[in-house]
Amino acid sequence: MRRTASMLFSHAGAGHRGIPQALADVLVCPLSKKPLRYCEASGCLVSEAVGVSFPIEDGIPCLVPKDGKLLEDNSEKSEQEPIPRDSSG
Amino acid sequence: MASSAAAGRRLLLLRHHHLLPRRYISSSSAADSLDDGGGGGRLKIFDRDLKRRHRDRAAWAMRETDGFVDAVAENLLDRLEDCRKAFPSALCLGGSAGPVRRLLRGRGGIEKLIMMDMSADMVRKWRESENATDDGPESHFVVGDEEFLPIKESSQDLIISCLGLHWTNDLPGAMIQCRLALKPDGLFLAAILGGETLKELRIACTIAQMEREGGISPRMSPLAQVRDAGNLLTRAGFTLPGVDVDQYTVKYNSALELVEHLRAMGETNALFQRNPVLKRDTALATAAIYQSMFGLEDGSIPATFQVIYMTGWREHPSQQKAKRRGSATISFSDIQKQFAPSEN
Repeated sequence: MRRTASMLFSHAGAGHRGIPQALADVLVCPLSKKPLRYCEASGCLVSEAVGVSFPIEDGIPCLVPKDGKLLEDNSEKSEQEPIPRDSSG
Repeated sequence: MASSAAAGRRLLLLRHHHLLPRRYISSSSAADSLDDGGGGGRLKIFDRDLKRRHRDRAAWAMRETDGFVDAVAENLLDRLEDCRKAFPSALCLGGSAGPVRRLLRGRGGIEKLIMMDMSADMVRKWRESENATDDGPESHFVVGDEEFLPIKESSQDLIISCLGLHWTNDLPGAMIQCRLALKPDGLFLAAILGGETLKELRIACTIAQMEREGGISPRMSPLAQVRDAGNLLTRAGFTLPGVDVDQYTVKYNSALELVEHLRAMGETNALFQRNPVLKRDTALATAAIYQSMFGLEDGSIPATFQVIYMTGWREHPSQQKAKRRGSATISFSDIQKQFAPSEN
């Protein structure tokens, strides 16, 4: 988490890509409540626990489960169900 | 505690029972979905996607200041002045978070405010107004769903929700997530619309539909009753729960103006079971019935809004507690003897 935060912090000053440190500290995955990782390549917040990435639009992180995209390399997650229910709670 | 929770569940089930066809309540799954705080929501009453679009529309239809919403926000924030505690980090959930931020005026000692809503347009609008005023606490913005709160456990001192939570499918679940996001001794403040809200419109709609279409469809969402609110707080595990009710009457020139106001607040019907068609004939009949049944002498029509205010704290050892049953060391008859000897 600390690594995530420092990564986010380095981006906070650089335009619209990152999100402020203070916000990054309190945000978690809405489904699993596990920490989020900031992916520099895609500019998304990634939840490793459920394999979903959430977009950051215009500097505002969008953490509605429906907006999340399943990560492609996560083949074991079923494709029919966009929200993996088992891992939440 | 356990029995009151069970009673609350029964009440909730009873309340939803007549609104939903059987297939939505499959044996025990309804009770389960109310129980687990995280990924519940198998019991779907409201169309959250539609509500999100409503709020997108409300973002541009919103008035600069809205008398009713401001009154509710002011009343809610007034409670912060009753606390000696300061709340450095606060989370403001959807609904009317804009007025909450505007009317805050340094109350509650908030230093960091996170504002969250389902609608990205709404959040952007808040950010614009925040940039324009440039005072108040440091604000952050998130798009998120109250039913899936993306906030870390034990991270907030205060959570405010002004007129937003009555649109959640799983209100107990949403409140449990709020409690978990609070630090120990953190405060949860919420205002939701109660069952008496828009009773005039409810009546007018029903009569008009009976008259023109020969049957009725749900045009209004089911709302929590006052007696449910206390149960909800206890169920969600808040300590020192407090509930109070306020009734506001807003006057409009016509029923159409009332509907415009509801749209601007994003409070229009989002039931799954709604009828997507509203005939012009029925709509006009509703307006006429409203006017003739409830119209005032000066030609305006009143609309009732019942607001339920809920206050709860996350448990903390420093809070006062009732003593354990049977832990008293003095009998009541002894006290009576001590203080009222003249009667004997």
